[in-house]
Amino acid sequence: MSSVFRISRLSALLLFAAAVAMPSGEVLAKEIVLGASVQLTGPVANTGRYYRDAYQLAVDRINAAGGVKIGNDSYKLALKLYDNQSDVNLSVRQYTQLVSQDKVDFLLGPFASNFALADSAVSEKYRIPMVQGGGASDQIFSRGFKFIFGTLAPASNYFGSTIEMLKGLDPAPKSVALLYADDAFDVSVAEGTRPKLKKAGLTLVMDERYSTNATDFSSLLSQIKSKNIDAVLVAGHETEILNFVRQAKSLAVAPKMYSFTVGVPSEDFRKALGTDADYAFGMTAWLPSADLKDRWFGDAAQFAAVYKAKFGYDPDYHAASGVADVEVLVQAAEMAGSTDPAKVRDALSKVKFDSLYGPVEFNESGQIDLPQTVIQVQGDRLVAIYGGNRKIAPPKYPMPAWDVR
Amino acid sequence: MDLLAQVLVNGMLLGGLYAVMALGLALVWGVLNIVNLAHGAFIMLGGYLSWYLYTYAGIDPFLGLPLTAVVMFAVGYGVQRGLLNLIVRAPMFNTLLVTFGIEVVLTYLAQLAFSADFRTINPSYVGDSIALGTVVLPVSRLLAFGIAILLTVSMWLFLLRTRLGRAIRATAQNLVAARLYGVEPRHLYAMTFGIGIALAGAAGGLYGTVSQINPYIGAALTAKSFAISIIGGLDNPLGVIVGGLFLGILESLTALYIGSTFSDVASFGVLVLVLIVRPTGLLGKAA
Amino acid sequence: MLLLAAIAVLAAVPWFGSDVLIQFGINALLLAVLAQGWNVIGGYAGYASFGNSVFYGLGSYGVAIAMAQWQLPFGGGLLFGAALAAVFAVLIGIPVLRLRGHYFAIATLALAQVMAAIVSNVKLAGRNVGLVLPPLNNDPLFYELSLLLLVLATLTVYWLTRSRFGFGLIAIRENEEGAAVMGVNTTLYKTVAFAISGVFSALAGGIHAYWVTFIDPESAFDIGLNVKMIIMAVFGGPGTVFGPVVGALSLSALSELLSSEITSLAGLFFGVVVVVAVVVMPRGLADVLRRFRCMGWRYFAENIRSHQL
Repeated sequence: MSSVFRISRLSALLLFAAAVAMPSGEVLAKEIVLGASVQLTGPVANTGRYYRDAYQLAVDRINAAGGVKIGNDSYKLALKLYDNQSDVNLSVRQYTQLVSQDKVDFLLGPFASNFALADSAVSEKYRIPMVQGGGASDQIFSRGFKFIFGTLAPASNYFGSTIEMLKGLDPAPKSVALLYADDAFDVSVAEGTRPKLKKAGLTLVMDERYSTNATDFSSLLSQIKSKNIDAVLVAGHETEILNFVRQAKSLAVAPKMYSFTVGVPSEDFRKALGTDADYAFGMTAWLPSADLKDRWFGDAAQFAAVYKAKFGYDPDYHAASGVADVEVLVQAAEMAGSTDPAKVRDALSKVKFDSLYGPVEFNESGQIDLPQTVIQVQGDRLVAIYGGNRKIAPPKYPMPAWDVR
Repeated sequence: MDLLAQVLVNGMLLGGLYAVMALGLALVWGVLNIVNLAHGAFIMLGGYLSWYLYTYAGIDPFLGLPLTAVVMFAVGYGVQRGLLNLIVRAPMFNTLLVTFGIEVVLTYLAQLAFSADFRTINPSYVGDSIALGTVVLPVSRLLAFGIAILLTVSMWLFLLRTRLGRAIRATAQNLVAARLYGVEPRHLYAMTFGIGIALAGAAGGLYGTVSQINPYIGAALTAKSFAISIIGGLDNPLGVIVGGLFLGILESLTALYIGSTFSDVASFGVLVLVLIVRPTGLLGKAA
Repeated sequence: MLLLAAIAVLAAVPWFGSDVLIQFGINALLLAVLAQGWNVIGGYAGYASFGNSVFYGLGSYGVAIAMAQWQLPFGGGLLFGAALAAVFAVLIGIPVLRLRGHYFAIATLALAQVMAAIVSNVKLAGRNVGLVLPPLNNDPLFYELSLLLLVLATLTVYWLTRSRFGFGLIAIRENEEGAAVMGVNTTLYKTVAFAISGVFSALAGGIHAYWVTFIDPESAFDIGLNVKMIIMAVFGGPGTVFGPVVGALSLSALSELLSSEITSLAGLFFGVVVVVAVVVMPRGLADVLRRFRCMGWRYFAENIRSHQL
């Protein structure tokens, strides 16, 4: 009996200690706190950290320019960021903590659609607006939730402009292969791509789903080669696409063109592949062009310079999207003239402004709609090829065999 | 027909890579009865070591394998002597738990030290291929296959023919008798584990040339190595070749005829079947 | 008695605790259920399963499919999940429980992987994208359900220690051949133990799925859970009634503390704790409490000495 007593006393004590030890949030007056749980460690961290950098840069910049102006008051922005270690369950708990314990005003999103799917349940439950720039899967926005907004262009349209471009290539590609990973984002991409291919009159010869985190693409590549496929579209993650390209080279598989949903816009990826990245197509909803004017950074080109100077690497659309998330929250709060979550939520649904990320405006489901620009790695440069229904620069096409590059 | 031939060749070469990965685990498990859940993490460390040697010292990853192996041997010796020797006679699952803890620690240290960027080891010849009729043989995988055979046969000869090898096997089977012969078991256990980790490190270097290295590849590699070790059988180092080939070909054929998403179902399904029907593996002595 | 007082205190948490504490509580309680479930097959029967996450996943998917695809109520989903787990435990348990030691552990681990891979291909389960459940915003309810489940699990383990069935399991753990010779139907006992362990794990998974409202194969069949539940049971004291509960609650508190203070190093510390704990106190906290008073610090050294090479 005495050990039972000791043990139950011990557990009650531990639970009490945990309750006391949990940090209580303190919010200073005249401060707007933004909360986020981002992948800083774990398998998805190499993209997750872009969001931490982007959020921090945006917050610092906006504060330096005087902060948020609501009525006659000036509010400073503060950022409370947690590392969810690439664990979806932990990120859900962290968002709950941000809302109910740290009492943040608004939420910024994580990277990746499956995280956004799970975490937006928290923002909906507590009725606090969350703006995320990391999840593009249409599923996130088809549940009738009112408090989730997304600045990533819809997954279903990722290959839209690429397919338009394909029609104009010479020699025209006749057969297409569509490979996609089996996670929320890539399945969405595939679902949106199939009807577009049909409408464009292109024949889908291979339509293959593969496991997320697959490392071996030899069978798929061998099939592409034996079927003599002209165009290969791959919807996947950076690590998979890296393996795909390297294995394509080692198996001497060179279709006329291949295009990837991720990887091509990031410097990290191009560096890892070295010269093997040449000829690869990708897409981005954002390029650091001086045409994209911004209230706080001047324009996208200036933003890219500031970002590179501070963090040591070029920003890609993930980073720009993250900055846009912070900016749109500020714009909405100013428009609503208040920090009340319900009012800001309504403002978000109506907000419309130009930023370094492009024109920001959400549809009724909360998703932005931006067209993708087709880009291609040409030598050591990233070139915009096709966008806005017109050709921008000539593509390097068709891709030669690996041994004659 | 050509496609089938290519896919079979792909499977075989993949099998060779798998065999190299699993060899260290199978050795330590079969001889010392230590199940190392951190095996994949050591492969990852070996990969980073090879990457650093290649990127900063220009040492070719294949030629540099012995160097990587030696360093990893020292690491393995230290881990066994300093930590694992403390729990050798504890119930089996204590080693599972401790090695799991080591895996977590190594992964986090790697994340802190190397960041989440992925690294590839890319000497110029690594993407080349040799054509044999209509079948294409990637050079990197061919080399990995060759090294797999070399290492496995060497290990087999080492354990069966050399004095040190026989001493290791004797110690693992009968501690008391070994001590009576003047053998120092702590040193021998550490030597063996060191060899196992050296092999893991070498596999890491090879892995970096065909795929990419990041701090989180450990867990999946450990799982694969387990499957290969069991399917091939732990009694004989040559088992990993059999296990590796079997799994490599099975996965490639599954991807071709059923679908890529079923590869894991096939490999782990076969693992369960082997465990139920013939736990000593394809090359093991029947129970 | 004091035990009832402790339960009353825990049950009252949703009234005086913060939202975050309730969330932490639900997680810790469910982990304690998993640890207690493992205790039955691993602690008492001596068959260290490394794949109980398969039951957790089956329970999660049972509830998710029942509620999201078939529009059944939560109770129906729980029953479905528990039934799946029981059937699986019996069908697969019979062949797999013939294995011993590491082979059993590896087989169960492989099973968990196979099920995760199979489910990611099943259309009804939403393949690898997963399923979204109808949302229910009532954390206190989930908390009380989890607490109830833990109480049931602990009562079951307590009943075990007093029943022939339990003695049979301990006999199997200590000397299986001897137990068989003495007339214990080892296959039946082991399979029932496996099924009990599976049903509790499945119920925990079902509650968790409804609470989080979203599951996919990776999170439902989370392989890391296996090690967590074993560590917690072993840390607290395997083969005891309260060991797994204490282990689960204390390690959860420690982990949560680290996650909220040092985030990136949390995982690292956890790994170090695991290594140190298994080396110096392999028989768990319960054993430490019992022996420390007579042996003092020599207890830890003694543990190492008796297990080292």
